[in-house]
Amino acid sequence: MRGVRTVAVTAVVAMALAAPSSWAQPKKLVFWTHWEQNPEFNKFYETRGKDFGQKTGYEVQVVTVPYQGYEAKYLAALMGKSGAPDIFMGMTHHWCGQYDFCDKMPADLARTWGENLPKYMLNVGKWKGTRYGIPIEHGNFQQMYIDAELFKKAGLDPDKPPKTLDDWLAAMKKLTVLDAKGEPTQVGFALRHKGHPVGITDKFLPFAHAFGARMLSPNLEKATGFANSAEMVAALQFYSDLVNKHKVASTAFPTPEDAFGQKRAATIFRESWFFGWVKKNAPDVAFKVYALPCGKTCPGAGNLFPWTNMVAKSSPHKQAAWDFMKFISNAKDDLDQHQAQGILPVWTANLDSAYVKSRPDYQSTQEMLRQPVPPEYYHPKSNELATAFGEAVVAALYGKGQPKPLLDEAAAKMDRILRD
Amino acid sequence: MDRQRRAGLLFVLPAVVYFGGVFLVPLVESVIGSFYRTVPGGLSQFVGTRLYVKVLTDPTFWQAVGNTLSLLVMSVPVTVVVALAVALGLHRLRSLEARSAWAAMYFLPFSVSLVAAALVWQWIYDPVYGVLNHALAGLGVPPLKWLQSLDLVRPSLAAVNVWARLGFDTMIFLAALQAIPAEYYEAAAIDGASAWQALRRITLPLLNPQIVMVAILELIFNFKIFDTVYATTQGGPAGASQTVIMLLYDTAFKYFRLGDASVMAVFVFVSLLLVTLLQWRLFRRQVEY
Repeated sequence: MRGVRTVAVTAVVAMALAAPSSWAQPKKLVFWTHWEQNPEFNKFYETRGKDFGQKTGYEVQVVTVPYQGYEAKYLAALMGKSGAPDIFMGMTHHWCGQYDFCDKMPADLARTWGENLPKYMLNVGKWKGTRYGIPIEHGNFQQMYIDAELFKKAGLDPDKPPKTLDDWLAAMKKLTVLDAKGEPTQVGFALRHKGHPVGITDKFLPFAHAFGARMLSPNLEKATGFANSAEMVAALQFYSDLVNKHKVASTAFPTPEDAFGQKRAATIFRESWFFGWVKKNAPDVAFKVYALPCGKTCPGAGNLFPWTNMVAKSSPHKQAAWDFMKFISNAKDDLDQHQAQGILPVWTANLDSAYVKSRPDYQSTQEMLRQPVPPEYYHPKSNELATAFGEAVVAALYGKGQPKPLLDEAAAKMDRILRD
Repeated sequence: MDRQRRAGLLFVLPAVVYFGGVFLVPLVESVIGSFYRTVPGGLSQFVGTRLYVKVLTDPTFWQAVGNTLSLLVMSVPVTVVVALAVALGLHRLRSLEARSAWAAMYFLPFSVSLVAAALVWQWIYDPVYGVLNHALAGLGVPPLKWLQSLDLVRPSLAAVNVWARLGFDTMIFLAALQAIPAEYYEAAAIDGASAWQALRRITLPLLNPQIVMVAILELIFNFKIFDTVYATTQGGPAGASQTVIMLLYDTAFKYFRLGDASVMAVFVFVSLLLVTLLQWRLFRRQVEY
């Protein structure tokens, strides 16, 4: 019996010695992203992670979390700490503001980004003046995509897009085709009317801004007087009239992107990534991209979802994570990564690169950036606020009420959220 | 403790540990969490019953409760009655092969992931390309906006629920029907009972435990409905299909208000517990012949 035990112990010791030691294996930085529609962009982290690994012993493993429900997974992991990623993508004002999951960016790296971002993006990635996140998407603002063929068919010149909302509405009317019962079979504008109210708010805001309205006060502390201002009421009236009065947009078409891709809608307002989407999913659509039409003012380059990369405060590899971020924080990597996926790069040095100049949205992007910077709503409760506001927008679209009382109710609710 | 008792305890221990870990601990955590609010920065602050007052006076919450109850009223009775009818029909089939084949067909939807099923139904309901509108057009019915209409969205989702749950309930009823001794029906026939009388006096009373159980299961399932709504409408249009669990999910994971979400979880638990107990007390009768 004793002999058997001795053999067993020897075998275990031998196996332990023969096994590769854990410190000889490359260490991993785990990177979570929910940009499932951008696989090439995500792969870049792993590719460059291998180069980084040769110098430091750390490689990068990218985990793509499905967009639907990503918040729940991130929250569970970041609260649980042990299963949390080292680097993750999200909105700074949520994960660093509402929660305290982020590590502050080292000063030298923050300076690098401060010196190389386009002006309108300087606040993206900051919370209360401190930089936590690295902005990853330039051109994350809506522009006007038009179907050139449908424009021509309607007797419109696709090279002379409408510049004002009045001209735009007139063009939308010409582009809309109704059946015998008065229902549109083709609409001028592909309007977002379903899905989460946050997305509906996002798509409505350019109209609101063009009417000179803003959703919250400049210090983001008040909604009443802003979300229900006379300008906002006028903007929502205009927006709901597109569906209910002019019928140049329809709630019968489930998703605006599909309607545009299927040539059932002649225009859509979307971000820079959409040109890659159309090329891939609707290659027969001949489209052009223009700056959004202006109303009282121009809507400008703004967004509700400022995506950034952040380092988790609880990560045991924080230093290595920041070192990796520094490793890829340069103009060349910025261009390579974004070009691989067909997204606009972030660094100012790349904004006039050959790649960017060759894109169909080059001129329109320049034009959008020349417009005044629209209001920003980077508040920790932005999702909840945008939901309350979006509920009023969608209710108006579905004829559940008039814009003024709906917005009054929304503003009161938003103030309660802000006070709480 | 004697040996037999100890063995019994050991046998139930895995189930108790599992139930405790998966159900009881989160439940207790939810109850505790409902008294704390999360403040920016991620810290928790004890607020007593403030969150209960806040949630229970919020019109959005009651709209979600109303939507849930409306879905429940449209789904549960239809599912139970149709499942019972299907089970009675299957029970009358003499050929075992035919019965098995039909039963398998009814059961298939139950084995499909609810999210996948919801996506398929989304295509069926599509107002422009959907097969349903296409079929109705053949009958001269104008296209309907099934999931994009304030009036039709809940009945449309209820139909999906009925479709998804029908097979499971049918199987339970079929198994129970097969357990009813044939002698009862023979005796009833000798006494001159009609088919309707046999159904009312023999079948339904003997199926009572299964009917109560299925009704409770359907009630719980429909009260907790999330997958199909999340995958098809995300609570829209204009909040017309937002259920309590959808609101709970958004509150916890989109708005990061874990305390408010815990209040909703406690509300769902208490409501289901009360309704289940009430249903059990009112409808469960022991029947013996």
